[in-house]
Amino acid sequence: MATQHSKTAARWMISPAVIMLLAWMIIPLSLTLYFSFLRYNLLMPGTNPFVGFENYEYFFTDPGFQAALINTILLVVGVLIITVVGGIAFAILLDQPIKGQGIVRILVIAPFFVMPTVSALVWKNMFMNPVSGIFGHMAKSIGLAPFDFLSQAPLASIIGIVSWQWLPFATLILLTAMQSLDQEQLEAAEMDGASWWSRFWYIMLPHLSRAITVVILIQTIFLLSIFAEILVTTNGGPGTASTNLTYLIYAQSLLQYDVGLGSAGGVVAIILANIVAIFLMRMIGKNLDA
Amino acid sequence: MARTISSRQTTVATIAAWFLAFLMFFPILWIVILSFKTEGDAIGTPFHVLTSGWTTEAYSAVQERSDYPKHFMNSVIISLGSTFLGLLIAVPAAWAMAFVPGKRTKDVLMWMLSTKMLPPVGVLVPIYLIFRDWGLLDTLTGLTMVLMLINLPIIVWMLYTYFKEIPGEILEAARMDGASLKSEILYVLTPMAVPGIASTALLNIILAWNEAFWTLNLTAAKAAPLTAFIASYSSPEGLFYAKLSAASVMAIAPILVMGWFSQKQLVRGLTFGAVK
Amino acid sequence: MGQIILDQVTKSFGDVNVIPPLDLAIEDGEFTVFVGPSGCGKSTLLRLIAGLEDTTSGHIRIDGRDATELPPSKRGLAMVFQSYALYPHMTVRKNIAFPMKMAGVDKAEQKKRIDNAARALNLTDYLDRRPGQLSGGQRQRVAIGRAIVREPAAFLFDEPLSNLDAALRVGMRLEIGELHNRLKTTMIYVTHDQVEAMTMADKIVVLRAGVIEQVGSPLELYKKPRNVFVASFIGSPKMNLIEGATAAEHGATTIGVRPEHISVSPTEGMWKGRIGVAEHLGSDTFFHVHDTGLADMITIRAGGEIDLHHGDTVYLTPTPDKIHRFDQQGLRVA
Repeated sequence: MATQHSKTAARWMISPAVIMLLAWMIIPLSLTLYFSFLRYNLLMPGTNPFVGFENYEYFFTDPGFQAALINTILLVVGVLIITVVGGIAFAILLDQPIKGQGIVRILVIAPFFVMPTVSALVWKNMFMNPVSGIFGHMAKSIGLAPFDFLSQAPLASIIGIVSWQWLPFATLILLTAMQSLDQEQLEAAEMDGASWWSRFWYIMLPHLSRAITVVILIQTIFLLSIFAEILVTTNGGPGTASTNLTYLIYAQSLLQYDVGLGSAGGVVAIILANIVAIFLMRMIGKNLDA
Repeated sequence: MARTISSRQTTVATIAAWFLAFLMFFPILWIVILSFKTEGDAIGTPFHVLTSGWTTEAYSAVQERSDYPKHFMNSVIISLGSTFLGLLIAVPAAWAMAFVPGKRTKDVLMWMLSTKMLPPVGVLVPIYLIFRDWGLLDTLTGLTMVLMLINLPIIVWMLYTYFKEIPGEILEAARMDGASLKSEILYVLTPMAVPGIASTALLNIILAWNEAFWTLNLTAAKAAPLTAFIASYSSPEGLFYAKLSAASVMAIAPILVMGWFSQKQLVRGLTFGAVK
Repeated sequence: MGQIILDQVTKSFGDVNVIPPLDLAIEDGEFTVFVGPSGCGKSTLLRLIAGLEDTTSGHIRIDGRDATELPPSKRGLAMVFQSYALYPHMTVRKNIAFPMKMAGVDKAEQKKRIDNAARALNLTDYLDRRPGQLSGGQRQRVAIGRAIVREPAAFLFDEPLSNLDAALRVGMRLEIGELHNRLKTTMIYVTHDQVEAMTMADKIVVLRAGVIEQVGSPLELYKKPRNVFVASFIGSPKMNLIEGATAAEHGATTIGVRPEHISVSPTEGMWKGRIGVAEHLGSDTFFHVHDTGLADMITIRAGGEIDLHHGDTVYLTPTPDKIHRFDQQGLRVA
């Protein structure tokens, strides 16, 4: 069927998508790279001279950078641990023949469909607000002083909010993987005298390992870019206590109008994301061959 | 399942699952409850909230805020628009890659995916400046284009996996049965491809509706969709729990319903086929 | 009408030459089976005839007309695919009607032909179901029904039974055979299973690596295999091949004796051996005899009631005029 004629037609059909994505990728990327070597501030119109690696020096020596890097790692790792461990537990639980499984599933995955700004606001006001949030009311009702989550533990609170959003995703994927586990394998292991724990450790977990890797990689890509949750809840504060790289770069470029510095940060963010992306692409590529 | 599981074990699992599911869902349930309260009742203790009277005045109040319907419509326009445009470009591309694969098809697919891994903040500055210079800031056109582009790789990829599942032998059978290319597409391919296209569209609408980086950074009052509009409640003057809840419920309800229908497609779309 | 002639047909995929120049004539009404191990090019050959693959060079003539450049839809052939290739979104009725709809057959005629086909294939009760609701055998019949209603010049079958279980396969084999007897239309059937080939064919084409090893009726191939490959491919259990001194005694490099042409005796005979596995089928008994000094194992087909078992020492005698002799190139010596 693959005649020369159809090959030519195929090329025409693919090219709009390729050209658009190419433009979308190449133009901003090269501009980011170019800006990162300029002294370029929107508040100081002028010649925008070439300054070499000056922006990178500023970016790396900015006290906010170190904090942002650590916060980014804490945020990503924290959410990953909670969602993967929780997701495995949920997946195994939901794989049982429980009553009303369909409804339970729907309830569990619902948070994933809540837009980030809504979930951040809901947690910030209705739950974590020390005066009128549920947690505050609960603390008061048992005689404790209410805890101001977002000022006293801002990063941990954001980790909590983001985990609530992403736990459904991990659950859904791990549950899908769990359901493809051959029941006979588990029965065979039971016949071989394996306890529940060894069945989990030697059969379920290895079976899930691929899905777990996928969850970790994909979530990492998205978690590196967490933005709305921080913007709405803490604005990166107090100080830089909850500023991640994405938010730092946003603040530098769109709040301080320092295009050069923001671009240098953008380049750093791209490099970091690419390290994760390489692993993810390899996995997907392998799957494509199979 | 062939083996019998003791009913006690099932009961324990059922109770645990329902309890945890309730906890996960509780924040959503809570804003639904708050949205039917007066502002005064909504900031009371949980006990007070549950025992006070019910009212829909928060919904009317939100509706009356003249800008709410506008932002809702903005969300509808950008998510449907970006999905439609995306499909328009992606269907032929995915089609060609699935049915006339060449040596470099796989590379093209992988490259498309790699653009999705680009952190948005890495290109924020140039896109912002380009939008500013071209007058696209705070316009629905600009936002629709951006959302279409960021989700295009996912659309192409999902369609590709769906088209791939249509067995080549069926197309050959149609040809043997005397179908011209036109009837082959009309009677055989399209009916088999429509479910996949529909699922792809559904997932893309969800992703576009909830997108909260570009919508926050590229819009102001005029073109802001619900993501950005709701964010404006974060300022202290917006601390009206009942109205915030009502606005939130209306913002998430349509997507929640769509999301429940698209659980399977979600797994396929967001893992790029790596988990089935 | 359905005479198909291949004239110096070749097919290459890139640099790989799958079918070197090949000539073949299939007469009208003949049931021809292409048989050979997987990867021998038999499916490619069928797809060339169907028009699903372009020929690299050479000509295909259908009923005297050059069809080499015709698209599949214009060749007047019907094909039954290995996966059945039913349209999942159409009912059985619509599946069967599809080729007629494409050909613009009028509705009344369509209905008549569908009803006839459904009756012949036992599908009347299933006409309004979707393929997904049918068993493997029923799907197979729908695929055949879809082919019949076109009233094609020839039917092409691409390993149609390989997805069915053993019992169904025997049944469908009979049905396809009866269909051929009734319609008397040319059929070309591809299989890797020599039993299917032997039981169904008027003419068998044995292929290896794109080359026709032999063409002939089932019994011709059985009685006079042209070379060692055909000899060992046709017949079940396989022909015993013996090389070395014993073959030299018969003036050949290799001699072959079919299991059914060796008699077995507990007391006397030409070759001596020990029974390994004995398979008692009731109607027949297969002995796998070791330590004969002829080959690793000699297979023998004996009567069903013979009382010999694992470990027994036996004597074997080949029927003299049933010994096949092959030369150094593996070709038959007259």
